[in-house]
Amino acid sequence: MDRLFSTLSVLFITVIVGYLTIDAKGHWDFVLAFRGAKLSALLTIAVAVAVSTVVFQTITANRILTPSIMGFDALYLFLQTALVFFLGGFGFASLNPFAKFGVETALMLVAALALFGVVLRNAKDLARMVLTGLILGVLLRSLTSLLNRMIDPNEFSVVQQASFARFSAIEAELTWISAAIVVACFLWLMARHRMLDVMALGRDTALSLGVSQDREVRRLLVVVALLVSVSTALVGPVIFFGLLVSALTYRIAGTWRHGVLLPVSALVSAITLVGAQTLFERVLGLQTSVSVVIEALGGVVFLILILRRRAR
Amino acid sequence: MKRTLAAVTALTLFAAPALAETTIETATGPVTISETPATTAVLDMASLDMLDALGIEGVTATSNTYLERLAPYAGDLGTLFEPDYEALNALSPDLIVAGGRSTEAVPQLEKLAPTVDMTMWGDDLLDQTRARLAAFGALYGKEAEAAALTESLDAEIAATQAAVEGKGNALILMTNGGKVSAYGAGGRFGWIHTEIGLPEVIEGLEDTSHGESVSFEFIRETNPDWILVLDRVAAIGGEGESAEATLDNPLVAETTAAQKGQIVYLNAGDIYVAGGGITSVLNTLEIIQTAFGASS
Amino acid sequence: MTRPAFVFPVLVTLILVSLVTGVASLGEDGWWLVFVSRLPRTLAALLAGAGLAVAGVIMQMLARNPFVEPATAGTGQAAGLGLVAVTLLAPGAAIWLKMSAATTAALIGTAGFVALVRRLPTGDPLLVPLTGIVYGGILGAATTFLAYERDLLQYIDIWMSGEFSGVMLGRYEILWIGGALTVLAYLYADRFTIAGFGEETTRSLGLGYGQVVALGLVIVSVITAVTVVTVGMIPFVGLVVPNLVARMRGENLRETLPYVAVSGGVLVLACDIIGRVIRYPFEVPVGTVLGVLGAALFLWILHRGPRRG
Repeated sequence: MDRLFSTLSVLFITVIVGYLTIDAKGHWDFVLAFRGAKLSALLTIAVAVAVSTVVFQTITANRILTPSIMGFDALYLFLQTALVFFLGGFGFASLNPFAKFGVETALMLVAALALFGVVLRNAKDLARMVLTGLILGVLLRSLTSLLNRMIDPNEFSVVQQASFARFSAIEAELTWISAAIVVACFLWLMARHRMLDVMALGRDTALSLGVSQDREVRRLLVVVALLVSVSTALVGPVIFFGLLVSALTYRIAGTWRHGVLLPVSALVSAITLVGAQTLFERVLGLQTSVSVVIEALGGVVFLILILRRRAR
Repeated sequence: MKRTLAAVTALTLFAAPALAETTIETATGPVTISETPATTAVLDMASLDMLDALGIEGVTATSNTYLERLAPYAGDLGTLFEPDYEALNALSPDLIVAGGRSTEAVPQLEKLAPTVDMTMWGDDLLDQTRARLAAFGALYGKEAEAAALTESLDAEIAATQAAVEGKGNALILMTNGGKVSAYGAGGRFGWIHTEIGLPEVIEGLEDTSHGESVSFEFIRETNPDWILVLDRVAAIGGEGESAEATLDNPLVAETTAAQKGQIVYLNAGDIYVAGGGITSVLNTLEIIQTAFGASS
Repeated sequence: MTRPAFVFPVLVTLILVSLVTGVASLGEDGWWLVFVSRLPRTLAALLAGAGLAVAGVIMQMLARNPFVEPATAGTGQAAGLGLVAVTLLAPGAAIWLKMSAATTAALIGTAGFVALVRRLPTGDPLLVPLTGIVYGGILGAATTFLAYERDLLQYIDIWMSGEFSGVMLGRYEILWIGGALTVLAYLYADRFTIAGFGEETTRSLGLGYGQVVALGLVIVSVITAVTVVTVGMIPFVGLVVPNLVARMRGENLRETLPYVAVSGGVLVLACDIIGRVIRYPFEVPVGTVLGVLGAALFLWILHRGPRRG
């Protein structure tokens, strides 16, 4: 276990140093400050996505469901487009970022609680739940497209930008609030890692061990919703990233203990995100949003994992 | 947020010892610039169009300028949507000109260098063209050139007004592959109707500020005397199904516009990418004038 | 067993409604207008709907899963990828070249999906649609990557959201290829039904499983490519229609395929008429209407209880 952590730590430091130093242009004091701010945003998102996915999968006792697969990205896009539609592209762009962030987070939080509540009530009929989530996603995407059609093509490009996760254009001010929320959530979850271990054993076992399951689940859901909202509102939709990170984490950690799973997932997530960002932005010099590539990568890894599962 | 930052920027600049202080009008209100910028980073194609027309030196733009005539200014400043902040820092320009597609980046840009947002928006586009032109002229000490350009703009408008007078109504279309959208006087190309007095084919389009997806039946039914066409695919440098091919069909052929050969293909790249830029507007007026002038 | 024969009178009614619904008024040259504009549009909607519904049912047989269709199995995304690739390599490409590129890409993409599905662990039917969606997401990301680097994002939107506003005489005829394949699928319906029972059953009945799968793949890919190239991707038809028909008539393709095809046509035509009317005289894409209506229908199917038959 110590070896695992030291290996991950070395990797983590490597990608961070790489991210901060490779291909720097301009003055060092600017570059370091500028990249440092972006780095802290990346780390915030990485931790939020990783931890929320792991906890969500523990609650739902399923390793394929993630909040984003349940239609969250679509909801976010719809929200963004609706904002552009009602405020106009210029109005959208000049909206106070704090107000925008606050509104988005609040809306996402409400929607997340509603959606997750439904998911859990029907957790036994998983096939139906996943499909419901996916179909809701399509429904929202169709509404988004309807609004897009009604928006001037020029403004449409504003939406199109907002509809990719953009790691390079994050508001520095927002990062600090988000980081504080994420750190608080992480610490709260770490303090309850034994509780999560018990809940992972299943509802009946947890009840017989004296856990008031329903209340715990509700609390955890609020935290998950908060984390998801923060990461989505901060950067945009990242659908398969959570799945990629949680799948990697279960393989690497080789344990069910959340005291290990949570920090490992956070590290894996940070290494993946920052590493990919370094590779694509600095080394390859590609314009494309890194998220597009990470999504594709996450998808590929997911498929490999599913196929491997059969081989074992 | 942006306003406060702009104000702060303005204040800081005001406090600094100034040589040739100029206050110019921008999309976010008046901004004071302390001295004539020697190096300028431009993240807005319409502004680049105007700086080019004024003959400003020391201008660097994004890596893709879309328009052939603006290609000499292409630099390494990233894209309109994602400026390369580090390259901007390395360049340390005296002024950053943003607007339109790069408006969202302004709060970040302001941390690097004095930034002005020169977005042109709404249906009084040409008034804004005049205002921006005057602002740039004042800023770079090119008032005479700016005035000359404004004069030729006014002259061109007058000439175009005369050319289109009594020649019938028009419908503005944008094609995207095989599909077509219509634009009205309230839309982003509305100045073609309002400024040069070209009547709209139907009043109903007036309220729509965005393009409306329409069928070819719509074009036939409204039966415009003139059709002004923008090819969106050509505007961004693609070579998909051309606007000519899309509009060459029996339904469009029924219209007065087609029968009299009055379908005018506008300079899509100019209007779409650098809409409101002075050269862009002059080119467009020129095309309309030639087309309408030739008809009797 | 409910008789789904009611779709036929509905079909006739919708065709009549479609012929008289449009922006242009049917004056003295009304017949000409119907011939040049209305009839092609009506036929295009029917052909696309029938083709996609049949493609959906074939995919469901081949993947042995009721929740796959061209739009959720990477077929549509692969066709789009092929189109973007050919647009980048040969910008002014002729329509047949685009068609071939889209078809080839769709074929490879769908074959890849079927290969993946066959290697999936059995017993968890959930994994199939999930895999399809992830797989389609990867192909979609590749398309976005190419389009983003070359400023073609809005252009690919043409292919990704189905719309009949540009359809008229001379602009939709490729869709007849889809119509022909729908007929072909009917001729081979029994084999697809048997393939739906799995590889071993198929072989024990003396049929070449590989051949049936290959034929199915070709039919699905060509229908999808043809639709994407001419009008753009239309979601849900392939998912909703076969499930609704199977509910009423069971899963013998020989018997149900005509109903699937007609219902698919009816659904798409109805949505196109809605799209023509709700913002008259402007157009709302049929893909958007179906995204909303189809999603609602599907949720209804999903929550109405297990299917019979």
